[in-house]
Amino acid sequence: MQLLRPFRNQLLLLLSLTLASCSLIKSGSGSSYQVIKSTRNEYSISNDIAPDSSIINTYLPYKGRLEAEMSKVIGHSALLLSKKSSDTLPESLLSNFFADAVTEQALKLDPNIDFAIPTTKGGLRVDFPKGDITTSHVFELMPFENELYVFTLKGEDVQRLLNFIAGTNGQPVSRLRMKIANKLPVDVWINGKPFDPNKSYSVLTTDYISGGGDHTVGFEKPISKTALGLKVRNALMNYVKETEAAGKIINSKTDGRITKI
Amino acid sequence: MEELQKFNRRNFIKAGGVAAASAALSLNAFDAIAAGDVIKLTILHTNDVHSRVEPFPMDGSKYQGLGGTARRSSLIKKIRAAERNVLLFDAGDIFQGTPYFNLYGGEVEMKLMTAMGYDASTMGNHDFDNGLEGFLKQLPHTNFPILSANYDFSNTVLHQSTQPYKIFNKGGLKIGVLGIGLELDGVVEGKNYTGTIYLDPIAKANEYADLLKNDLKCDLVICLSHLGYKYPTDKVSDQILAKNNRSIDLIIGGHTHTFMNEPEDVQNLSGNLTTINQVGFAGINLGRVDYYFERYKGKRIKTAAPYTISNELD
Repeated sequence: MQLLRPFRNQLLLLLSLTLASCSLIKSGSGSSYQVIKSTRNEYSISNDIAPDSSIINTYLPYKGRLEAEMSKVIGHSALLLSKKSSDTLPESLLSNFFADAVTEQALKLDPNIDFAIPTTKGGLRVDFPKGDITTSHVFELMPFENELYVFTLKGEDVQRLLNFIAGTNGQPVSRLRMKIANKLPVDVWINGKPFDPNKSYSVLTTDYISGGGDHTVGFEKPISKTALGLKVRNALMNYVKETEAAGKIINSKTDGRITKI
Repeated sequence: MEELQKFNRRNFIKAGGVAAASAALSLNAFDAIAAGDVIKLTILHTNDVHSRVEPFPMDGSKYQGLGGTARRSSLIKKIRAAERNVLLFDAGDIFQGTPYFNLYGGEVEMKLMTAMGYDASTMGNHDFDNGLEGFLKQLPHTNFPILSANYDFSNTVLHQSTQPYKIFNKGGLKIGVLGIGLELDGVVEGKNYTGTIYLDPIAKANEYADLLKNDLKCDLVICLSHLGYKYPTDKVSDQILAKNNRSIDLIIGGHTHTFMNEPEDVQNLSGNLTTINQVGFAGINLGRVDYYFERYKGKRIKTAAPYTISNELD
């Protein structure tokens, strides 16, 4: 049985329970069988196993339609938005596109959002190509099922979030401008106004980030939180489709929202 | 993993005497099967398959090339051909994770589980992702029951769609299976489960497990659970359920996507074992637990009756 995971084969246990005399037997309950032994293991489903063609035939028609759907062109982009630059720079074409597109869609559901961090740099998975944009490109950019949330945060928690953003050399943000000096945020502007640590703010983010994903901080004790009922991927998808429907082409620029000094 | 192997091997040697004794016992059990006194039951299980119809793509990701329903089906067929009494269960989160769900709403997943001959499943939080109506819409594609003992759907469209438990008869054995779900508040968007009443999972699991074992005379009680294996907090989990129940023999878990090195055996409130197992997610693995039953003659055995456990199949 080469399929069995070898490290699970090492252990042979004899368990004698403290109350072993009644193991799986109930006096007078009428069951007439008793467990005398249990053996268990786990199979890895890998290419050691030949596929069942009847199952492939069951999903093949769906796969065909799915692939057609996924390769459908839903928009156009004027330029390549590269993942590499978003990994290394405080802001990038890709991080700005992602954050602004998601924020624009979320604002339709909650117009009071002050600023947004709808992904982390680690959440930007691949390049977004120049030219034809397919459904598949959006899935590749955002393969996760993350949901959008609006958190109302106290100023002190916003400060911790801003410190995190500055301390990690910038993150994809929208409606937020800051300079980074010695890994700390300075000259912070939120939605066109200077950041006031005594105020509370409405912050657009995701279940993943607010849960501390990629070591994000600040969302632990919100004043309130609301699910928007919109997945990040669907927000991106809607943005691409609406841009196309309006006869426009996807574009992005760096605007100095996060700079290092 | 090498560390673990070494550790286990050391344990194995240390327990040499015990191992030898149990080897003798397993030999006896083998003879008994031939004589027809022992019945073997094979439980196969998955959890959190998350719409993973095909293997993970070969894209350099951690699980590339693993999983896939067509291979799982082959393996299940092979086991069914070799074993007389096989049951196949899923612990929920059938839906969400690949475009198959986004495009077809769960139809493909349900058809494939039906084709593979699943005997029952419970509901995970992601099975609510298209709302109660979205789940209901896929039920015509299933021929297995959805078990839920602690979601009260009586005020919803699912009021006739689930049942708390089901009893399976296999080779003369009665196997009672119930389903337990996690608290939906904060995990599932409100509009997707409107009207659903969440009942205490420990109380409901005990109520139905006791019913199955004591009143309905089941020889084995299995709980399909989407509570999650364990948490750093006191949040209810499979570990907490295992310690605080009286009649469950096996918890087939899910939700936390836990790859367990081996099943965990926990002493429950009646002093018996509740075993917990969970096999990661996405159909990367198929779990298997075999039980050997001996026909019980006469009254209660007074002497210590050890129940042998091995993490190696015979």
